[in-house]
Amino acid sequence: MLIEFTLNYQPIAIEAPPDVTLLHLLRDHLNLTGAKEGCSVGECGACSVIMDGRLVNSCLVLAPQAHGSEIITIEGIHAPDGGPNDLQENFITYGAVQCGICIPGMVVAGEALLMRTLTPTRTEIRTALAGNLCRCTGYQQIVDAIEATAVQRRQAS
Amino acid sequence: MTELQYIGKPARRVDALEKVMGKAKYIADRKLPGMLHARCLRSEAPHALIKKLDVTPALAVPGVRAVITSEDFFEHSLFGFPVKDEYVLAYRKVRYVGEAIAAVAADTPEAALAGVQAIVCELEPLPGVFDMEHALDPDAAQVGPDRPDDQHPNFLDLLIVRQADPLAEIEQCAVKLDERYSVGPQEHAYIEPEGALAVPTREGGVLVYAPNQSPFVNYGVLAMVLDLPHNLVRVIQPPVGGSFGGKDDQIYQMSAQVAKLALLTGKPVRLVYSREESLISSYKRDPMHIRIRLGADSDGTLRAVKFEGLMDSGAYASESTFTAWRGSIHAMGAYRYNACAVDIKCVYTNNGYYGAFRGFGNTEVCAGIEQAIDELACAVGMDPLDFRLKNCLHVGDRTAHGQILTESVGLPDCIKTVRRLSDWDRKRAAYANQTGNIRRGIGVAALYHGTSLGAEGADYAGSTIAVEQNYSIDLTSGLTDYGTGSRTVFTLIAAEELGVSPDRIHMQRPDTDTAIESGPTVASRSTMLGGNAARVAADNLRQTLDYAAADLLGCELHQLVRSGEAYVGPDEEPVAWERVVDHAREMGLALSAHGKWTAPRIEWDHHHGTGTPYMAYHFASQVAEVEVDMRTGVVQVVNFWAVHDPGKVIFPQGAYGQVYGGVAQGLGYALMEQITYTNGYLQETNFESYLIPTSVDVPEITAQFVEAPFSKGPYGAKNIAEPSMVPAAPAILNAIYHATGKRVRDLPANLERVLLGHDLAKGGSAKACKLGLKT
Repeated sequence: MLIEFTLNYQPIAIEAPPDVTLLHLLRDHLNLTGAKEGCSVGECGACSVIMDGRLVNSCLVLAPQAHGSEIITIEGIHAPDGGPNDLQENFITYGAVQCGICIPGMVVAGEALLMRTLTPTRTEIRTALAGNLCRCTGYQQIVDAIEATAVQRRQAS
Repeated sequence: MTELQYIGKPARRVDALEKVMGKAKYIADRKLPGMLHARCLRSEAPHALIKKLDVTPALAVPGVRAVITSEDFFEHSLFGFPVKDEYVLAYRKVRYVGEAIAAVAADTPEAALAGVQAIVCELEPLPGVFDMEHALDPDAAQVGPDRPDDQHPNFLDLLIVRQADPLAEIEQCAVKLDERYSVGPQEHAYIEPEGALAVPTREGGVLVYAPNQSPFVNYGVLAMVLDLPHNLVRVIQPPVGGSFGGKDDQIYQMSAQVAKLALLTGKPVRLVYSREESLISSYKRDPMHIRIRLGADSDGTLRAVKFEGLMDSGAYASESTFTAWRGSIHAMGAYRYNACAVDIKCVYTNNGYYGAFRGFGNTEVCAGIEQAIDELACAVGMDPLDFRLKNCLHVGDRTAHGQILTESVGLPDCIKTVRRLSDWDRKRAAYANQTGNIRRGIGVAALYHGTSLGAEGADYAGSTIAVEQNYSIDLTSGLTDYGTGSRTVFTLIAAEELGVSPDRIHMQRPDTDTAIESGPTVASRSTMLGGNAARVAADNLRQTLDYAAADLLGCELHQLVRSGEAYVGPDEEPVAWERVVDHAREMGLALSAHGKWTAPRIEWDHHHGTGTPYMAYHFASQVAEVEVDMRTGVVQVVNFWAVHDPGKVIFPQGAYGQVYGGVAQGLGYALMEQITYTNGYLQETNFESYLIPTSVDVPEITAQFVEAPFSKGPYGAKNIAEPSMVPAAPAILNAIYHATGKRVRDLPANLERVLLGHDLAKGGSAKACKLGLKT
């Protein structure tokens, strides 16, 4: 079936079977491999994308459900020049990255939070990340990076 | 020493940019034209004879290109180190649920699964061994291989430490303890499931991309089981999405499966596990049953320990004999004793199989001994932190193995620092005698952890370094960075040695065609071994450049000084580093070098249980503060302090990250990570049932370093990755006791154990496994 939606601010139309997940549509049909498949049951958050402003597990969304929606994936998050944006830069500065497999999902989850608020407490940041598993970092430097970005964006706005 | 420019200073992780942008290509992100998809037929029985295995019906399935069994490999694909008892694909018998029997390559994943389902495989069930306490019963079914001696075939190994006669010593002690503890299995739960991709080469060989820990071990196994000369095998390391000890044997099996399928079909073949397949088929941390006897004088002087451990190795030996050895060495904890005996026995069962996992035996024994020490301190009537301070190892002390510690023992400072940071004394008093429903507690654990392989085996690493045409520098190591940050550590060390910016250096991932064989990437050995190799390589290159600089500046070597990257001679005019490189080229000098570093030789006497197990030790002390809901058994860790002596810290953000992540894994081990085998069938087959800590389970952690330099480590560095995890669980368990007055001696301290003091009887079935292998 033909699925039409906005992907990373660009309109897109793609022919795909109706029973594939949004995650597989992105990875297998659109060759966007930034969203990762960690569990396929909506537990790990490695496949996180932003759908109409909300953080979702793309492994739990059927591709046809994306029809007419606005989807932002990790590939749509960057500075205007294509390099890292402030959040991504802070992930590097604060040492938030280890193996990195959860990191696209963490960056997406961080952006979804910062779209809602620029004054999150550390507890609120932790709650916002509770659906994204990381086995390497213990989360602390990820929280540091998101908190620092919130402060910087607040000061800039 | 002049002031360090890069080491110990804030740095950018070399692979962070591609990861935050979502551009890093992990194994599941790599596709090649014409690539086939592989899938394994796996055992649904915990122990059975393979009576019939006919793959021809699978070959008739549309899209299926090839099917392999153990018959397709040299010696039926037998491999394993140090005990050779595993197969790439099962031969004649299966010994655990999920063991691979055959592998199919097909055009699509769906066709591969249809092919697997078409294979005719008849299994004749055998009685199984599911309780390690009965593995050595005379009538226990044989799980392990035949033995040349009269030992039970389910006996794998016994590791001992001996110093005097502890039972006689304990007899004379005023305060005694005799308690039993247990730890359960733990899943690595890296967020990237296992995978491998093989590409056939024109020469008749194979190139394998695999997120393995030790590419050179994979390379050796591949050459052996495929019966190929080594020059026809090449292993390249893609980014690894977490490992923690888990991407060893399992990845070598997968690599051999896809390599054989690629050789047969002439096409690239990729195999990537689902989470269910990963949990069901992969090895886990071993469970251990522990009995500890301790004795102390009434003034709190610790005198003797006897530690007995029974460790399940599951269906195969994997790394268990090494794990048990490291466990035995650390089983008595970081204390002085007059007498010590440790016996750790490992046995075969049909409960999946167990292998390497962060801490590698020490995580298991530390959970026991650090609770026992706490209990003994309580019996003596001493504060548990004071008790540890009184008895812990200092420089000049003799360990229970007979080793004199001559340097780099930061333990007393770690304990004192964690006491201050955690406000220990005030909280310890404040939380005594609580009565409410919500109670707080604070607990401590101490640690030592031997660096690198120790007496396990030859301990060396190699590095290459070369200046490229554009004045960048290529650096290689035979060791893998599976997320720990070792590539950044090597980069900073090479930059420091050469006196150039880390930005110049391109630290490659291992490729067996270009890197130098460096032994396995295990035992938190990268910083010391790989770091020293990078230091030696960079130093060799620097000597060439210094020689060229002296020639260019018309001075003696000792007259050279550096200003940033530039060289300065007696005339005090700085000369750019590039200019020195140009001059070296004009002189015809080779601007490449290699470095090898071999650890000092040490000896361990396995028969007498004495010797020098490790060249140096990491020391640490951690304190956990918990809040326990007495109505539900829910434990929340509300604060955590971790003070570690890793020697000199090379890459601070990386070292802190190791501590935070290690504590989080220890928290999971302590409270929630539960693996249950019911008659050999795993009950937890995805993250909805196997729970690992989330961002709301892990508290804010305060980490600090006591840097007691080790003279043979690069810039004084020792290790950090494993030790960061090891003491977390007992610190949390000791805190639970402080809060509730009740000991939970079995890990994990789940709700039932905290609330009721025992497990609730739960059913189990084969259902989750059977479903998980079919989807």
